[in-house]
Amino acid sequence: MTLRLWSYFFRQTLSNMINNRTVHAIGLGTMVASLLILGTFLVLFVNLNAWIEGWEHSLSMSVYLEDGITDPQSDRVISFINGLPAAEIERFISKDDALRDLRSALGSQAGLLEGLSENPLPASFEVVFDAIDGEIDIQEIKKEIEDLEGVEEVQYTEDWLERFEGLMSMVRLVGFVVGGLFCIGILFIVTNTIKLTIYSRRDEIEILKLVGATDWFVKIPFLLEGMVQGILSGILALLALFSGFILLSTKNMYFLSLAVLDIIFLPPKYAISILLTSVVLGFVGSLIAVGRFFDV
Amino acid sequence: MIQLYRLSKKFGSKIALDDMNLRIRKGEFVFVTGPSGAGKTTLLRLIFGAEKPASGHILINGINLNRISRSKLDLLRRKIGFVFQDFKLLPKKSVFENVALALEVTGESPTLIRKKTHQTLRLVGLAEKEKVHPLQLSGGEQQRVAIARAIVKEPLLILADEPTGNLDPDLTKDIMVLFRSIHIKGTTIVVATHSRELLEDTAQRVIFLNQGRIAGEK
Repeated sequence: MTLRLWSYFFRQTLSNMINNRTVHAIGLGTMVASLLILGTFLVLFVNLNAWIEGWEHSLSMSVYLEDGITDPQSDRVISFINGLPAAEIERFISKDDALRDLRSALGSQAGLLEGLSENPLPASFEVVFDAIDGEIDIQEIKKEIEDLEGVEEVQYTEDWLERFEGLMSMVRLVGFVVGGLFCIGILFIVTNTIKLTIYSRRDEIEILKLVGATDWFVKIPFLLEGMVQGILSGILALLALFSGFILLSTKNMYFLSLAVLDIIFLPPKYAISILLTSVVLGFVGSLIAVGRFFDV
Repeated sequence: MIQLYRLSKKFGSKIALDDMNLRIRKGEFVFVTGPSGAGKTTLLRLIFGAEKPASGHILINGINLNRISRSKLDLLRRKIGFVFQDFKLLPKKSVFENVALALEVTGESPTLIRKKTHQTLRLVGLAEKEKVHPLQLSGGEQQRVAIARAIVKEPLLILADEPTGNLDPDLTKDIMVLFRSIHIKGTTIVVATHSRELLEDTAQRVIFLNQGRIAGEK
């Protein structure tokens, strides 16, 4: 096909979109809203994933010591931990420190601790594992430390991680279902927008066919319309999503009232996927729409 | 130019054309006439490939319409000009754009499209009105735009379905003069009409249809 014909198709597409601007604006608005919801879901997913990965990479462990632990036993525990790959003792919490921490955490309720005859809290080491990967068997490490003399119990964040990984699987599943439904919705919107523009131009189509236009000559501008609508809605949805991200990222986000969370925007591959998906949906939607309209 | 062999067409149980045989030679000017429902429009639509026959064959310039693909039919239509009673012009496009449309589909260069469109509009006497929109023109002028659109691609055949049906006698005369001038240049013309005035004193071939059959010829 010649450059001249493509120039005709693009001019035709532009003029169709201008002439049917109301229909296109409504279609575009609905598509942007759908893609925005889809994008928000992706941002949520990407951030949850990043947070969990962050926690996995900075796994912490509390090694609680028996009350009567001797100095040599304590030294052995320290040297064992320091001998572990990527492990570091972040701090030692003495029994007194533990009580002080609990008191400050209880705040106005600290009076509850006044009746205690002795400090029931154990001393502990806070151990941080940096950049944990799959090769380290955290369960095995826990067991080995617990077997050391003078160690009462070892706790780590595994339970939390498992719970969050379960949540992520759920988010992923819901994402696929919701994403699929939104894609069908977008397809439906594009198909109907293009059907409406075809309907509004049915006289012109009839005349084009009467003067010898091939089916593709008539169809291509409509297919381009669907694709342009896809590109525009993809770009607008990403811009809206980015604006929302900028707005939120300037505020501190707290999670479970504990930690300040850094929000990240969609990585380029996700942003490109949204754009590509909207273009493909625009194309397929218009292809469905033009499929049944050319029997002159 | 046109050969019809045992051509029949039905719409449901109604027979529109019944076992018709007809031959129209290249360069002929033929009127097809008959009462409403005689099959005039159906005949033209079959020749144009807008309808498929129930049985029989249509040959245009030796090409059997039953045996050509959809895309070849589109190309064949570029050699046929069609003129309608209701003009079928696009009201949002200018006179120039309406005529140029017939060339745009062929992928001609913009320069050639401009040149041919100007020439054709001069031929039909509308050179001064090329920027005007169809609804600002009289009925006769609108039909001349439709004829310009049909002839701008220099077709071998023009099919006109009641081209003067919406026009007064003076405008009818103008349009027929225009058709004759096109015919003189060698274009085959088939005009379907039920107008007796149009057929009075004509020296052209006239085919009378009745109930989907050829009832006579003059």
